[in-house]
Amino acid sequence: MEIEIISFGKISEFIKPQKLEISGITHTDDLKVYLESSFPKLSGMKYKLALNKQIVQQNCEIANHDTVAIMPPFSGG
Amino acid sequence: MSEKKIKNIFVAGPIDPAFIADSIAKHGSKTAIGGHSIFMGQVRRDEVDGKLVDAIAYTAYEELALEKMHQIREDIFEKYPLNCMHVYHSLGTVKAGQICLFVFTSSAHRKPAIDACSELVERLKAELPIWGKELFDNDTHQWKENI
Repeated sequence: MEIEIISFGKISEFIKPQKLEISGITHTDDLKVYLESSFPKLSGMKYKLALNKQIVQQNCEIANHDTVAIMPPFSGG
Repeated sequence: MSEKKIKNIFVAGPIDPAFIADSIAKHGSKTAIGGHSIFMGQVRRDEVDGKLVDAIAYTAYEELALEKMHQIREDIFEKYPLNCMHVYHSLGTVKAGQICLFVFTSSAHRKPAIDACSELVERLKAELPIWGKELFDNDTHQWKENI
């Protein structure tokens, strides 16, 4: 299936917005493993995912054409 | 489902002190209010390894931030007897010394306004997907992280 990846802050400097063809990945926990091996810089960092504009708090199922945002710690204000 | 009106909080560039003054003035007609509390965030010229912060460039996951802000707003209105609540946050470049955040709460008596304002600032710094990139005077940068 195909998902869309967007990223923010520091992470946007090494992961550009892109469409990702993934197979065998059904949940966000698997996706994290996949992302960290595809983008080694990510593995040492603190980050959160948002699936279709919802912050991922627990392992969530991913569907075709979902959008996943990769977000480093917030620093607003 | 209750009707949900998502308010925008984002302002392009710095928040003009005249805008803040005008916002205060507008409350003159709301005579049930007896106390206002205001917090303003200002970009600090920090020194990091001998380099000075010239400005902070803010970006956000806007849709998610506005959705989250809507929840925070509802929580705060539920918790405190407020007459008004206003929140503005900059996007884009804000120079050292300029205002990047404006939080304004009003209530009949002082305590709810003060407590709500303080809780709002804490929650929005922790929960809104906004990122600040500190731009130094030698053209390098570092990403801020809220503690």
